[in-house]
Amino acid sequence: MIRLKKDTANIVTIIFDMEDREDNVINHEITDAFLPVIKRLQEEKAKGQLKGVILTSNKKSFLSGGDLGYLYGANDPEELFQEAEKLSRFFRDLERPGVPVVAAIAGNALGSGFEVALACHHRIVLDDPRVRVGIPEVNLGLMPSGGSIVRMMWLLGIEKAYPVLTSGRHYSPQEALKVGIIDDLASTKKELIEKARAWLLSHPYWHRPWDQEGETIPGGTAQDPALIERVRATAAELAAATYNNSPAKRTILNVLVEGSKVDFPTACRIENRRFAHLVCSSTAKNMISTFWMDYHSIKKGISRPKGYGKFRVRKVGIIGSGRMGSGITLSCIQNGLSVVLKDVSKAIAERGREYVSQRIDELIREGTFHPTEKKEIMERLVTTEKATDFADCDIVIEAVFENQHLKQKVTREAEEQLDNYSIIGTNTVSIPIAELGKALRRPQNYVGLHFFPPAERVPLVEIVAGADTSDETVARAIDFVQRIIKIPIVVKDVWGFYAARVQNTYILEGISMLKEGYAPALIENSGRQLGLPNGPLELADAMGLQLVLKYEEQAAMHYGSNYVQHPSVSVLKTMIEDLERTGRTKKSGFYEYDEEGNKVLWNGLHEHWAPSKTSYDRKRLNERLLFAQVIEALWCMHEGVITSAAAANLGSVYGWGFPKETGGVIRFVQNYGVDNFMAQAKVYHKDYGQRFRLPKVLKNMITEPNFQLAKAAVE
Amino acid sequence: MKDVFIYDALRTPRAHGKARGALYEVKPVHLLEVALRALQHRHQFQASDIDDLIIGCVTPIGDQGFNIARTALLEAGMSAANGGMQINRYCTSGLEAVNLAAAKIAAGWEELSIAGGTESMSRVPMGSDGGPLLNDPGVFMTQNYLPQGVAADLIATMEGFQREELDAYAVQSHQRAAAAQTAGHFQPSIVPICDANGLAILKQDETIRPETSLEQLSRLRPSFARLGDQGFAAMALHRYPEVEKVHYLHTPGNSCSLSDGAALVLLGNEAKGKALGLKPRARILSCATVAVDPTIMLTGPGLASEKALKISKLKAKDIDLWECNEAFAAVVLKFQRDLNLNDDQLNVNGGAIALGHPLGATGAMLLGTMLDELERRDLKTGLVTLCAGAGLAVATIIERV
Repeated sequence: MIRLKKDTANIVTIIFDMEDREDNVINHEITDAFLPVIKRLQEEKAKGQLKGVILTSNKKSFLSGGDLGYLYGANDPEELFQEAEKLSRFFRDLERPGVPVVAAIAGNALGSGFEVALACHHRIVLDDPRVRVGIPEVNLGLMPSGGSIVRMMWLLGIEKAYPVLTSGRHYSPQEALKVGIIDDLASTKKELIEKARAWLLSHPYWHRPWDQEGETIPGGTAQDPALIERVRATAAELAAATYNNSPAKRTILNVLVEGSKVDFPTACRIENRRFAHLVCSSTAKNMISTFWMDYHSIKKGISRPKGYGKFRVRKVGIIGSGRMGSGITLSCIQNGLSVVLKDVSKAIAERGREYVSQRIDELIREGTFHPTEKKEIMERLVTTEKATDFADCDIVIEAVFENQHLKQKVTREAEEQLDNYSIIGTNTVSIPIAELGKALRRPQNYVGLHFFPPAERVPLVEIVAGADTSDETVARAIDFVQRIIKIPIVVKDVWGFYAARVQNTYILEGISMLKEGYAPALIENSGRQLGLPNGPLELADAMGLQLVLKYEEQAAMHYGSNYVQHPSVSVLKTMIEDLERTGRTKKSGFYEYDEEGNKVLWNGLHEHWAPSKTSYDRKRLNERLLFAQVIEALWCMHEGVITSAAAANLGSVYGWGFPKETGGVIRFVQNYGVDNFMAQAKVYHKDYGQRFRLPKVLKNMITEPNFQLAKAAVE
Repeated sequence: MKDVFIYDALRTPRAHGKARGALYEVKPVHLLEVALRALQHRHQFQASDIDDLIIGCVTPIGDQGFNIARTALLEAGMSAANGGMQINRYCTSGLEAVNLAAAKIAAGWEELSIAGGTESMSRVPMGSDGGPLLNDPGVFMTQNYLPQGVAADLIATMEGFQREELDAYAVQSHQRAAAAQTAGHFQPSIVPICDANGLAILKQDETIRPETSLEQLSRLRPSFARLGDQGFAAMALHRYPEVEKVHYLHTPGNSCSLSDGAALVLLGNEAKGKALGLKPRARILSCATVAVDPTIMLTGPGLASEKALKISKLKAKDIDLWECNEAFAAVVLKFQRDLNLNDDQLNVNGGAIALGHPLGATGAMLLGTMLDELERRDLKTGLVTLCAGAGLAVATIIERV
């Protein structure tokens, strides 16, 4: 677990090495194991035989985060508080052995892993751009504990600590140094240890500022009028950005504010109490479940057809250098692949290259790459106007306009250049894959790869298997998507696939409310304040009202005589046919748009759909907007459009921005309680109609192995 | 219950609550001390006749801290006066002090009290006392607690007031105040502030701008856009999702000016007044405190007035004159709309937009202004009301005797 080495200069090196684990995690085992180590260090110090301590790890990472499995299952705040207090003591022991301690970090140190380093007197990191350090707990609805927020505050001050603690960012070593959360860089592992030793020998009497009389928090406390003014602004920004949906970020801000007003040990205790409370919150459980457990079950390949060898992609062909094509290119290039980017002319394709180049420069500024790497990176990108340049590509992705004829034409050209083992992906959202694949000689090698804009940022890709797509191609598509560090979810080749189909129900529900006489602003604010990226009406405008209607017409076709018309359809038809307000591209939809792109709700809406409701039940409006999506997702599960809860959850959050604090559409049901959810859906079914009907087998589905696959894979 | 009479009301002049204001050079306790000396001088009571002094002060720290009421009594040579306490019910404090003193007199527990308020905003800025509603994100985020100006803009947005209406109201406030000042209507109740040599520092209200025009006001930039855009407007929408967008309509021109000043009201029962030879000017009929939603915060005056009317068994039509504190133009226009009041009954001598708003003192000042005007016009009843922080509002109804 913990190994000790002592050298002739009386410097002890402590090596974390947890047995039977790929990584060292911070849990009670390691804190317990540390107690005798501390005792021994104190004894050596008493004998005058200890000059300093170096903390390091023999694993690939320095130390990874806390034990998420434990945190997911923990529901006793008292126990959690005591564990956090134990961690506090561990950190205090670490920073008070009477000699200086250096963290020598040669691999990732994230979350609690970095917090151990934070409790050391000096942090040196190997200057490898692949290494990441930081405090990303908020990404899982969590916060640091053991006094780490308080340490960060004492290190950077409230204002600089806040973004480090709440952005969820992983910092490259260069960036970490700039931000101030580490002290030094080393170019090699050897230099790392040398620098650590040198620092120890030159700083024999080193204390943390909070243990030093007269030291203060840099930048002041939340009692300083000038600072509190800025903290207020920060809080207001947070409120506006999250509408109180992010308890983790709020809690961190509160710990910073409160913690700055009291002494160090009290501040740590405040932090630990808040931590215990937060870990028990449903938000934390939802987010751990989805962004940790579901994520890892997908990463391990729950949806990947079995029996096919790993697809090793080296070279990718991309057709179309527009927004999507360039974004996909960047994702590939950034992750070490070579790309041939084709457009109608080389000059146009060069625009994609320019975009990639600019973004790589940004990544260099952020420290993701070294400036020296730029040349090699850009050399991996070739632009062309000739399909023949695709000859040795392992995969070609077509990302041209949503036009069937064009898509088929460019795909056929590419196919001619490829061998039988290469696959072709198409980035479409509204044309069936089976339809597009008809034009090809090898439709079994053809698959939908639906990226979401901006393609380089959204970590999700829908893999659409057409009727002819082979399992092997699906497996290969999954391998490719994972290779560029994105989450693959396999979906059926039906209208809108999964994400667009479910998202449409959100829009339609909002439009139904308009028809019922709710004020349009109320509808929009309800959606936004739930945490959706857009109100339903502005989203309809952005997509174009015809497309919204088209999806619903496809649903009508799909369900045939069972279909009951959605109340929103008449509104859409009035908007499109009578009022000719079809959306943002026409600068005229549910909103009016000026030349600069500013928008206000169209005041003519009042004439056609008078806001007759004088009062409203906020909970009900919110639930309708959410239930509409959740129920559609359940139907997607039922119809096999999507095959795992994990994929449904992650697809909902990354695909269309279902509020991440809910953990996604299926987690929403689990958190609501299946029986409660069914009962409530029944009420809405009665009050609003067919669209709130649940699949009969919902209860079975929730308990079925397939439905639970995501959980089973990690438990 | 015993009748509670108002025997007198006086005040200092009001000055800009900034370093350029005339009273910036005067220490806060002196404002109250001068007012106390003037009151005693006018009525020749003994300090020991006084049962209590209740003083509203909204930012009671620093030079206004450690109980400024008692401190001022000592400074005024009235150590024999019984009592002295400072209270804070935000902007209503000065009126609330009157109501508290009145209640004790009505109960028969006290006979003669002084109530009022003081605020030196130039020396002790608003909000400098901190407080979780302003400075603790854990509190104000949960409460969707807005800066007052953003709340005022929210009211204007929800009521559909246009910028021009608000500005027009502000112009009227200046014109009415200027007319009253020119005619000398304020003068009898104003106690000038002088230095130790007896040299006058300020003799009359200094913030009135008779030349204010719509055109001038229309050029002013909204005051609360920055705060709103910081996120407070989004917090407003979080509470009121039916609003598409908060329109930033209040400016320095159509909001009250923050100022320095103090005011006192002498209250007592009939017997004590007779014994001291005091002449009652009015009777307090009722008073009321209400709270509305703290996010929109400033819409309480209508409700407070209705509550006070109900207690005194009066109808709105029984009230001859109304004073509603001009914290922001939208507050008064909303109040006027709520109670369906005529222009010529409401804030007839202007208000805080022109005359200034020394937070803790304003309530007592409005009561005094109301009393003077009822006498001047020979009318009978008046109602004074103020909105306040965190959704509070207070109203008091008086009747001349």
